[in-house]
Amino acid sequence: MKGIRWKFRISAALLAGALSLGEVMAQDYDPNATLNLATNADPTLNPWTPGAVVESNLINTIVFDQLVRYNKKDLSPAPSLATSWKVSQDGLSWTFNLRKGVTWHDGKPFTAEDVAFTFNDVVLNKKLGGQNAGNFSKVKNVEVVNPSTVRFVLNAPFSSLPYYLAYYAGILPKHVLGDAENPLQVASFNKKNPIGTGAFRVAEFVPGSYVRLVRYDKYWGGTPKINSIVFKIVPDPNTQMAQVISGELDFVGVSNPALLAGVERNPKLQVLRQSQNLYYFVVLNQNDPRFRDVRVRQALLYAIDRKAMIDSVVRGYGTIATGPIAPLQKAFYVKDVPQYTYSPEKAKQLLAQAGWTPGPDGVLQKDGKPFEIDMPTGQFGYLVPATLLVQQYWKAIGVKANVNVMEWNAYIQKMFVNRQYEATLAWWSTPPTPDVTPYYASAAADKGNNIPNYKNPELDKLLEEGLKATGVQEQVLTYRRLQRLLAEQLPYLYLWYPDIISVRNERVGGMADINTAAAFQYSSEWFIKR
Amino acid sequence: MTAYILRRLLQGVVVLFLISAVTFLLINLAPGGPTSAVSLGRTAEEREAVLRQYGLDRPVLVRYFDWLGGVLRGDLGKSYNQGLPVASLLAQRMGNTLQLALTALALTALLGVALGVLSALYKNRWPDHLISSLATMGMSVPAFWLGIVAIIVFAVQLKWLPSSGIFTVGQEFSLADRLRHLAMPAGVLAFTLMPNVIRITRSALLEVLTSDYVRTARAKGLSERVVLLKHTLKNAMVPVIAILGLITTVLFSGSVVVESVFGWAGLGRLAIEAANGRDYPVILGVTLLVGAIVVAVNLLVDVLYAAVDPRISHE
Repeated sequence: MKGIRWKFRISAALLAGALSLGEVMAQDYDPNATLNLATNADPTLNPWTPGAVVESNLINTIVFDQLVRYNKKDLSPAPSLATSWKVSQDGLSWTFNLRKGVTWHDGKPFTAEDVAFTFNDVVLNKKLGGQNAGNFSKVKNVEVVNPSTVRFVLNAPFSSLPYYLAYYAGILPKHVLGDAENPLQVASFNKKNPIGTGAFRVAEFVPGSYVRLVRYDKYWGGTPKINSIVFKIVPDPNTQMAQVISGELDFVGVSNPALLAGVERNPKLQVLRQSQNLYYFVVLNQNDPRFRDVRVRQALLYAIDRKAMIDSVVRGYGTIATGPIAPLQKAFYVKDVPQYTYSPEKAKQLLAQAGWTPGPDGVLQKDGKPFEIDMPTGQFGYLVPATLLVQQYWKAIGVKANVNVMEWNAYIQKMFVNRQYEATLAWWSTPPTPDVTPYYASAAADKGNNIPNYKNPELDKLLEEGLKATGVQEQVLTYRRLQRLLAEQLPYLYLWYPDIISVRNERVGGMADINTAAAFQYSSEWFIKR
Repeated sequence: MTAYILRRLLQGVVVLFLISAVTFLLINLAPGGPTSAVSLGRTAEEREAVLRQYGLDRPVLVRYFDWLGGVLRGDLGKSYNQGLPVASLLAQRMGNTLQLALTALALTALLGVALGVLSALYKNRWPDHLISSLATMGMSVPAFWLGIVAIIVFAVQLKWLPSSGIFTVGQEFSLADRLRHLAMPAGVLAFTLMPNVIRITRSALLEVLTSDYVRTARAKGLSERVVLLKHTLKNAMVPVIAILGLITTVLFSGSVVVESVFGWAGLGRLAIEAANGRDYPVILGVTLLVGAIVVAVNLLVDVLYAAVDPRISHE
């Protein structure tokens, strides 16, 4: 047995010498290794199934390829199943050339029919209510031009289409799901044996315990360098952290920086501080006339010491936010916008200008009514402590927030679905595109993702201009104006961009450092050092 | 006896029916909705489409009788968030919960009774003090904290035991591997549940030890061993069986905290995930199953009373 393994190693080394595998030499990594990852609940192995969210995203990113993925350096759209694309003059038609010679995990060839099926029959089929399907509301349909070319026909210009195609938009196999009554609810696919074109295929799914992936030898991007990836289902974040310390896990995302104690000085572990287009904010419901006065919104932001909040709530792992476009979008992010540096005096002045005067009990009042704000919050992450801090800062300027802590699901129903709130603290995580229409357009107020129900025709015009833009230069100019307008008007009170923290064992190599979402689109390049 | 058991089973069915009706109404009163429909970032249109797929656009009563009809035909429905039949989810999780529960129950019962007896025999001497301080610790230390500490000590520092899961990937049928995975969660459960058994065994035994018939037995010249095993222990068992019955229902319905900390895919974790995700069919399925377990265990306990104490009769 030992002899055979020796021979194998020698021949592997010889092969590598002959072929030269680019930057990583075969003798540097162990092709039989298993990478151990974690997820917090049973995943659903179909990227479009309603309810397939955090527990499923990373696995699905590995199993299902998308037309487009992120560039590892700057997160711009890069080829994946599509090798190139072109937009028509009027911006209403996008042609994608597909990669040839790609096969599904069952060996069948991947063609334009699969792309057309994924969009026409799944994503755009409103009856299915697909997860993230709303991102493609501007797509009318997808036409098959020839087996290796598709055309996306749009209702309106959508310059950010490639970004969204790189954002949890895996392509599904028509030959497997085409006959299903509801392609999003096929249990044998979602919970057992999904078929994708990704670098790893699902070998075993033990509910509640783990999902085991093995490398797909015929992967179009070359044979993956790891033999298998095991996603262990570990619901408790403390346990996940213990496992990464004990070496049972190789990589975990850390939602609460307080858990990093004991990891930061471990020589075998690397703490990664990455970024994502993610921002925390306080929203003031614009259906409440008090908050339609821009001075009130500005005052309530001046009153918050965001630097101190970052230090205490996320232990310094974050930077002050200035708008919805995070600094990682280097081409678009602008820094020279109004900053609202902590100043309770300015806050009081602005509120006085807006007609709010101190009442007998220290609470500001106007027309005899005290400045009280109904502020529900949900038990999730650090929303509760952050909300309580905002409450204290507002109290200091004479604004009384009545915080109501709710169970998460009930909070979403109240705040997001029913919009029954006056102020609340939450976050948005969006693809790294400057287009923010779904969160800011007047059309998305009251029932869409425009949580504050903010309506501003000037902003709508800018959003539309951005979507129509055909060149990057034009986009840059439009989105600069947009960021300035947002910083002045404050439809959302921007709090911070949190660092996305993960801990990685130093034995893992080849993982892109820019962020987790992008790194998982390149799993074929990962390797385990010998 | 048979008539008694039949009567109790019939009552059990009525109880389960009431439980299902109350649960159905309560979960529909709770704010929020299935995660697949109600999550941050879903548009109103997507949400409505999903709710329609689940039939949640129909009135509550219609849905209840629809569900009840399914149950009577042996169909517990399909999970909203998992897309799998509820019966298969329950079967998977019940198997895992049983492994953990039976191990923990055996540990709790054997160690609990043994330590309780020792405590009573060495009343107010050092073994008694030692055991009662252990019991106090077990009662006051929260299970999640103990679990995390156990992981830090036995998995992270000493690397003796795996920190979570039911078996190692690829070793599904290795008994040794299963036992290694069981050790910590079953140990933590036993440590926190044992104090009740210790205390009750101790006090029941002390009471019996001072009774007339024990004095008579000793006066007859019987050995201390026979007195203890034959005359005392059996008579002290009724309250102990009662507490073990309670512990069994707790264990069989799945220990949420321990299952989460140790990543044990049991019923408790399923229940919590279903409740957080408003997965109505799963919540109902778990409630019904746990209800049935409680009914069955209570019946078993009552039958056992009669077996250990002839004065108790169910005729």
